[in-house]
This record gives sequence, C-alpha cells and structure tokens, in this order.
Amino acid sequence: MKEKEAEYVNREGKRLDGRKVNELRAIKIEVGVIPSAAGSCYLEWGYNKVIAAVQGPREVLPRHMADPYKAIIRYTYRMATFSVSERKNPKPGKRDIEISMVSAKALEKAAFLEKFPNTAIDVFVQVLDSNAGTRIAALTAASVAMADAGIPMKDLVSGTAVGRAGGKLMIDLTKEEEDAPDAVDAALAILPNSEEIVLLQMDGIISPKEWREALKMGIEGSKKVYEFQKEALKKKYSGDK
Amino acid sequence: MDKAIEVKSMHAVHAGKEAEKEEEFNAESSQSELNEKEKKIVVPGELLTDKKKRLGEHVYLREGKIFSDSLGFVSESEAFISVVPLQGVYTPRAGDVVVGIISDEKHNGYLVDINSFYANFILKSSRGPVLKLNAVVSAKVFKVSELNEADLGQVRQFYGGEILRVSPVKVPRIIGKNNSMLEVLRNGTNSNIMVGRNGYVWIKDGNAALAVKAIKKIEMEAHLSNLTNRINDFLIENKEVNK
Amino acid sequence: MGYENVLWKLQGDKVLESINAGKRLDARKFDEYRKIEIRKDISHLAEATTQVKLGNTEVICGIKLEIGVPYPDSPEEGSMSTSVELLPLASPEFESGPPSENAIEIGRVVDRSIREGGCLDFKDLFVEEGKSWIAFIDFYPINYDGNLFDACSIAGMSALLNAKIPKLEDGVIVRGEWKGKLKLKNHAVLNSFAKIGNSIVADPSIAEEKALTSRIHISFNSDGNLNAFQKGGPGSLTANELDQAIDTGLKNSKHLIKIIEESSE
Repeated sequence: MKEKEAEYVNREGKRLDGRKVNELRAIKIEVGVIPSAAGSCYLEWGYNKVIAAVQGPREVLPRHMADPYKAIIRYTYRMATFSVSERKNPKPGKRDIEISMVSAKALEKAAFLEKFPNTAIDVFVQVLDSNAGTRIAALTAASVAMADAGIPMKDLVSGTAVGRAGGKLMIDLTKEEEDAPDAVDAALAILPNSEEIVLLQMDGIISPKEWREALKMGIEGSKKVYEFQKEALKKKYSGDK
Repeated sequence: MDKAIEVKSMHAVHAGKEAEKEEEFNAESSQSELNEKEKKIVVPGELLTDKKKRLGEHVYLREGKIFSDSLGFVSESEAFISVVPLQGVYTPRAGDVVVGIISDEKHNGYLVDINSFYANFILKSSRGPVLKLNAVVSAKVFKVSELNEADLGQVRQFYGGEILRVSPVKVPRIIGKNNSMLEVLRNGTNSNIMVGRNGYVWIKDGNAALAVKAIKKIEMEAHLSNLTNRINDFLIENKEVNK
Repeated sequence: MGYENVLWKLQGDKVLESINAGKRLDARKFDEYRKIEIRKDISHLAEATTQVKLGNTEVICGIKLEIGVPYPDSPEEGSMSTSVELLPLASPEFESGPPSENAIEIGRVVDRSIREGGCLDFKDLFVEEGKSWIAFIDFYPINYDGNLFDACSIAGMSALLNAKIPKLEDGVIVRGEWKGKLKLKNHAVLNSFAKIGNSIVADPSIAEEKALTSRIHISFNSDGNLNAFQKGGPGSLTANELDQAIDTGLKNSKHLIKIIEESSE
C-alpha cells in the first residue's frame, strides 16, 4: 500500500509534476482576443488551451426557443480534432453535449438573465490542447468572456478539479493522476464570493468524510482561480495608458 | 428566489423622482472628466461597500453589502453608488435618439438595426421618408416594451457619409459634458457628426477619416483623465493628414 | 437571415465607390496582402499545429496522422483528408451545426491546392500491407475578417512543413512519441482575389467580400505552376481579368511561400 501512495505524492508532499496537493497548474488568461466577438478569452491551464467567445444578448433564432421572461444561455463546448491524442471526430459526441449542458446551467446561475428577456446569450468554447480539467478550464474562460462582453453577473464562475490519487486528496488532477487505480475525479465550479456550487460532477468511490475535506480544498482552489480571472479582466483596462 | 428579489429592488429604486436624480448622477459621472486619481476597476461579484447607499446601475444588494455586477468603474458619492460598465449591448430607453440602418423592408414598414438585441420596426407612413435597404436614419425612442423592443418615431434620413460603430457605454464620453467633446470633434475636423445613443455614429464631409480616428481614440481611452484636451491636441497635430 | 451584420453590408457599398475611385478602404494597393503572422505548436498532442493571422483573420490548423487501410485502387499509398469548421466563435455570421456549404467549399479548395500541388508523397505514407498513414488536416477559424481561403492555405502548408510522424511499434502508434518528419515533394499556396466593379483586388477583406461580384482562387506551387482554380460568386470573369489575377498571383505566391518556408526553420 505504501508503495502505491508514494507513486502519486512522495514523502516531501510533491506530486508527479512537483506540485503540492493544494497547488494549481500554471494559469495564463488573456481577455478580448477575438475582435468580432462581443466578449472573448484565451486561457492556458497546464497543458490545456481553450478559447471562448460570447455573442449577444441577441435575438433567439428559432424564435420559439425564446423565453419571454429572461435570456437563455446556449453553451457550445467542442474539442478540436488535434486537441487529443487520437484524432477526435469533429462531430459532437455525448460528452461534448453533456458538458455543454451543465456548463450552461452554471453560467445561468451567475448571470442576471431577467435583464434581457426574449434573447439568447451564445457562448462558444473550443479546446485546442488538453490534459485533464478541460471542462473547468473552458467554463473559467467562458465566464471571463461573459464579463468582457458586459453581461451583468452576480459573480464570475470559477472552478477546479478535485479528487484523489494514490490515497491522497488533491486539486487540479492531471491525466496521469486521473488514471491512478484509486482515482476519484470531480469537476467543481462555484460562485466565489458566496461559495455557491454551480457545477458538480464526479467519478470514483469516496467516503462522505473524505468528500467533505475534498470539497473544502476544491473551494479554496476555485477561489485562487478567481484571483487569476479578476487580474486578467482588470489588466485589460488598467494596463493601457 | 434571492436573485429575483434583488433585481426587483433595483427596479423599484428606478421608479419615481429618485430615479430621475439617479439618472442624472449616472450621466454626470460617466460624462464628467475623471480626477487625476484613476477610478477603481471592479469585476462582477466584487464587494464595493457595506455602507447603506442608494443603488445605482450595475450594482446589487446581498446580505447588507453592495456588489458590482459588471466589469467597470465605481462611481460613488455619499448617497449613491453605481458601476459604469466598460462594455455592454445597447438597451433602448425612452427619449434616446439613435442612429439606425435599414436592414429589411416589410410591406407595412421597415426593420432597423439599432445595434441592440434585435432589429426594431418602423411603420411606413405617408409623411415619413421612403427608405431603402442600408439607408441611414436617426430616430427617437418613444416607448420601450418589457422585451426591450423600441417604438421608434421622428425618423430622418441621412445621405452619404459613413457609419462608425462604438461601444454604447462610451457614447457619453464621445458627446462630453454639455456636448464639450462633440464640439472639439466637430471643430477639429469640420465634419458633420451625429452620435446615436446606441453607439452608431454618422460622419460626413470634412476630415471624416480623422474624425473616425479621434472617436476610436476616445473609445480606447475613455477611462483616462484629461481626455478632452488630449483629443483636441490630437486633432490639431493630425489636421494635415487627409484621406 | 441569421445574424448577418448589417454594418458590413453597408461597408460593402462604400467599398465599390472607393474601388471605382482607385482606392481600397484600408489603403492597401490592389495587389497587396495584409500583414501575415505565423505561430507554431499550439497543441502538444498534434503532429503539427500552426496559428496564422492574415490581417485580423485568424485560423488555427492542426495535423493528425492516424493509421488507416489504403484505398483499394491505391493499395500502397496513404491519403489525406481536409476539413474546415466555421466556428460560431469566429464570427456572428457563423451558425452552429454541421459544416455549411461555405465551410465545405473552403475545405475542398484548400485540399485541391495541397493535393494537386503535389505536396504530399502518398507512396511515402505507406507503412506495410493493409496499413498506411492518413493525414488529417483540420482548420478552425478563430476570427473572420475576410479571405479564409488564403489564411487556411498558409496555415495548412506551414503545418505540413512542421509535421512529425508518430512513432510506430509493431504497426501500432505509440502516443506521445514521434520519429521523423513528414516529407514534402512540393509547396503550394492559394491566392484569392475579389472582382469589385471592374477591378481585381488581392486578399479581400470582409467588406470587400460583401462587395464582390466574383471571386477567384488560384493555387500556385513552388515551381511557379498553377495547380488549382476555383471561381466563386454570382458574377462572371473575363479572360483578361483572370490573366491579371494570375500575374499578380505569380508574384505574391513566391513571397507567401517564402514566408511559409521561413516559419518552419
């Protein structure tokens, strides 16, 4: 048993890539990178590279999908064919559609949708390169793009993966850690100021006690991501003189 | 549930005379020259204050504290607090004068693109101008429905010239307090300039190319101080540069 | 109707006026290209990726090599397959869903430029009986500001020049490891033109695309030969106008191919 544990986190508390269990991979965020979009964001997170664009609020086509009381959010998550090891079929798969659905719900909780009845806010995220945690990287970028587009929101949406590998709880798992025999991998996104959970998905077996500890780590990690998002948004406007 | 109540309380504040004072305050703060000290930029969800103040635009109340709902600048006085956003789609308000482009013709009217959520409708009238596709017009917003559809009237057609699109939140800066910036632009270029509240700007004659450059510069630097003087200098320096 | 931008259509009217007076709206010469920037290595999992900016038009190209069964009529050759997806994130005009006819046209024309330009040696892509490499060349526009054809062509050619071959062990791909580079026999690039009024302009911007009556895309390879044509748009072309485009293209393509070759160093 001890040998297995040493595989993922060593005695000095270092993971396979040298990080501590509560440490995030390197994150880089650029705001406003697509001129023809209302709002946009390019984000790098470890090996993950995603680009997000927001159009709208705009008319809903087809019209019958419109909600007369609030805006609807249409979220499209897709991965480029070359963003994964084996070329991905460009046609959207079930995973893409499921991720799009839960991500839309997360943004709906954050945005003041009643201000724009009868319209749609269209969010498109394309994954260009990947190594675990793409749906959270995508959602993190999407929420920055929404702010860049001037969509009023209660809060940004920030998140991180949280789970377990080699018996140790950790945040922001890499692909190698996700493949651990005892791996638990959860995608978590919150509204950072109120700590409300707006996205949660999990795979693996974990006790309720372990989960509560993992959730605490995940929330702390998500708040660190929020600081990166905040800095990138402010930098776009205070940087130029 | 919480969110619905918060939104309603913002709208309640907008009703009545207090709303007028507040509109003035918002207009003032977005039009006025910024002090030498840069105003604070905030992001959605950022805490602004836990003091009791009247809620202006783009702020909301939660558990006794006031937060921003947008990426923008804080505008605060003793009594009011609001955030002036850096981006946003144009939301029509009654009384606004907008510049529009005819995007479609129906048998009884025209669809006008006014840079908002959807195209708006103008009825064909025997007294009104006969318009064709891509014609440029100015119009007054008379009524706005719950769905943000604008009732447009007082339609005037503009001939020639060109249209520049700017972010609607920058329009107050392009006009300036008491039209101060607009005057600088007109004098520095000798162009006809019509600024729609919706972010479409019609420019004709004079040094139109320079006017476009200057307006784009205002858009980029809207949040910096001493802008009117710097635009004035910019126009003088570049006077000789013609198309 | 979709989300067509009325402002661009309006600009289209201005373009015709301006071109008839001998000027382009962005002050370029009629045969001049916008600024080109090429960056490499966007995805660490691809055999090659490039990001090209042509003015404000931005495209990312990725190449993946997978093992497939050779076609029965060419049992000792590999193959290539091209696709373009007009992502809605690149323009309010692009809608979600399966590839539109515009996406398909761009893909097919870029494919012809590479294939008929003799760039890939398909015999070289043969592995062993029943196995050969398929080169998947996939394009994703990131921002549309006119002339996706040439932006894709430049990105595709540049990616091919940088492509490495996945390592094979007993005929099976070892993911994450590569051995050797893709060998190219020739380099080719598309040159696109718009006919506006009676003038031919190179590298049309988005406003110029709205104003054109015809467009013509010509592929040139490094030998200075033509290897593909595509005429698009509702209008017609005279033989003279086509000649003009060919002459301009001969000059520009040399310059473009040089930029592409330099990007792989």
